[in-house]
Amino acid sequence: MPDSAEFESLVSRFYASLYQFAYSLTRVEADACDLTQQTFTIWATKGHQLRDVSKVKTWLFTTLHREFLDSRRRQTRFPHFELDAAEADLPAVAPAAVYSLDVTHVLNTLAQVDELFQAPVSLFYLQDCSYQEIAEILGVPLGTVKSRLARGIGQLQQLLARDIAASQPPSNL
Amino acid sequence: MNLNEAKTWLLIYRPGTADDSDPQVAAALALARTNPELGDWFAAQSAAQAAVRAKFQEITPPAGLREQIVSEYAASRKSVAARRALWLAVAALVLWGLLAIWWVPRPARPPADNPLAFYQSRMVRVALGGYAMDLTTNDPVSVRAFLGQHHAPADFALPAPLEQAAVIGCAVRDWQGAKVSLVCFRTGRPLPRGAQSDLWLFVVDRGAIKNAPGTSSPQVAKVNRLITATWTDGSKLYFLGLDGAEAELRQYL
Repeated sequence: MPDSAEFESLVSRFYASLYQFAYSLTRVEADACDLTQQTFTIWATKGHQLRDVSKVKTWLFTTLHREFLDSRRRQTRFPHFELDAAEADLPAVAPAAVYSLDVTHVLNTLAQVDELFQAPVSLFYLQDCSYQEIAEILGVPLGTVKSRLARGIGQLQQLLARDIAASQPPSNL
Repeated sequence: MNLNEAKTWLLIYRPGTADDSDPQVAAALALARTNPELGDWFAAQSAAQAAVRAKFQEITPPAGLREQIVSEYAASRKSVAARRALWLAVAALVLWGLLAIWWVPRPARPPADNPLAFYQSRMVRVALGGYAMDLTTNDPVSVRAFLGQHHAPADFALPAPLEQAAVIGCAVRDWQGAKVSLVCFRTGRPLPRGAQSDLWLFVVDRGAIKNAPGTSSPQVAKVNRLITATWTDGSKLYFLGLDGAEAELRQYL
């Protein structure tokens, strides 16, 4: 097991971003805490196998994502809307309307995006990882990540626009 | 790159990151700077994206999560250390046990490749283990007669001092198909409770023991708790045992 000081330093550096990623996937605080903690527990036992220390961040995110997928396999699959592929002509989403939404609402909307796109979109918005790092975390080629990002962001915007439109009072005719 | 393609690439662009080092994103950004329609679309999209990003950035870990992770790690380290210590202790105990088994003196069992030692050991056990005399008598002639009748060696020659010892009886035993004559004597010392004799002579044909000594000079050795002497004379192997001291034994040789 790694030295306590070394472990503590690693936790301080990554726990917040890992938690953000976990929460964006689970949308439940307790589950996100568990996933974050489980990720560091796995690091404590297997992290020494990682030879390239520059890959610690992607290793941690990859591990967290795998743990999430494993936990999801044990649960009933979350139903999601089937949406068309990303369209170039996306509905306009007013920034002010998005700012008025709470984070839970945004994450619940993300949960309706095609499951394949949820993790890359979360990593994209959390801004901790480059395209290449996202590709490594998810274990897919770089081109696939870009494609999934474009389609996932497109789906999210469509859903947000729908929610915002539905929440606005009907105009007087 | 057409406008729709450019929009796709601009959609995944995050200002302030290294995303613009991607050649396709960089090309789309260049096009947005020169194409007013694309520029307007990109500006609107950037604002919307910034709003969504801000929402993600609002996610904050609950207070104490970091401390909880660190403290549980410390606890697990202690637990692992304790388990390791326990396993080491168990391993050391097992190792100690194996070594003990290896080093504990084993019962004095003569190896199979040393028939003489095996014979000596077994005869001493006969003497010490309690036996029944087939004939109880103080008459040496009767002893020889009895042994001869039972096809055991009877024409043995004894050292003169042993001839003078007080005989009390005899018995016949088998050793790997050969008859063994057991002649029991008393030294005159007080006997332990239940004992009938304290000096025993075993005589067997020399050929019955492969590695019987070739000398008539007695070889004195301690076997079990008896002091013994072994020698050959003619065709016979003699084995004399005394529950006493070597000096005393030598008085009978």
